[in-house]
Amino acid sequence: MNNVNVARAKTIEVAPDTEQSPESREHVSFDRPWLVIVWNDPINLMSYVTFVFQKLFGYSLEKATKLMRDVHEKGRAVVATGSRERAELDVARLHRHGLWATMEQSG
Amino acid sequence: MRGEPPMRIRANARGSFDVDLPEEERELLALLPGRMLSALEVLANPDSIVPDELRRLFPPAYPTDVSAEDAYVRLARQDLLDHHREALMVLRDSAEVTHLDSQGINAWLTALTDLRLMLGSILGITEDGIELEPSDPSYYNWICYHYLSQLQHEIVTVLSEQLPPLKSEASERLPDDPWGEPLGGLRWDGTPRPELT
Repeated sequence: MNNVNVARAKTIEVAPDTEQSPESREHVSFDRPWLVIVWNDPINLMSYVTFVFQKLFGYSLEKATKLMRDVHEKGRAVVATGSRERAELDVARLHRHGLWATMEQSG
Repeated sequence: MRGEPPMRIRANARGSFDVDLPEEERELLALLPGRMLSALEVLANPDSIVPDELRRLFPPAYPTDVSAEDAYVRLARQDLLDHHREALMVLRDSAEVTHLDSQGINAWLTALTDLRLMLGSILGITEDGIELEPSDPSYYNWICYHYLSQLQHEIVTVLSEQLPPLKSEASERLPDDPWGEPLGGLRWDGTPRPELT
């Protein structure tokens, strides 16, 4: 089978900004992590969703079960965080497993 | 006292899996992928719209960013389509076997998941579930859906016992519910449930 490789080269152009302090620069948008979100699902079995979280992210049964229950009861759960490239790869892996996963930048 | 039913799919000492299913189930497993493979053919054109019955298999990564989503689809769609098609073909072509290797059992799990997503979409499965009479035209799909659910659960049970050891750092780095209050009432596509609107 083909491997998914959806990681993209990230090009970040930052205009000179002499008014920002070094502290405030730490909070510009490209520093905020991306959230991988799995949405509530009436079709996939709870046992299957838990298994996928364990398999893909190496979570314990307890952690994976809690995330599955968050998805089921709250409507969605963050199952991973990281760079945009990492989040996109995780979303693609979740899609390959039939889960409804999206990504958005935190904050 | 009744004991646990015998496991029909078992890990063996050779690192593969024994498959003990009756003939009528194997016939069904060989038959079901064909319909879905036909339905997937429409997606051979990369610009085609995903049909409603297959929409669950091709979720958006960026639901609120059209240009980012277009780029994601261009990069990921073909690979995802190939992944689904290959798994369905493995199930169709190996429905009669009594032993599966790791790749084979994982392909079965993918194919069963895909078939359930398509049938569940056709049936309009919701959190509340549905109950059909035998006279309903959807009854055959309904029976297939529940059969696939049972078999998928059996495979998940076996594969869960084969998972590698935990990554020690993996469980503690997630933000704990970054949205604050529990949301509740959302459907799988992020829209509110009709009864709450």
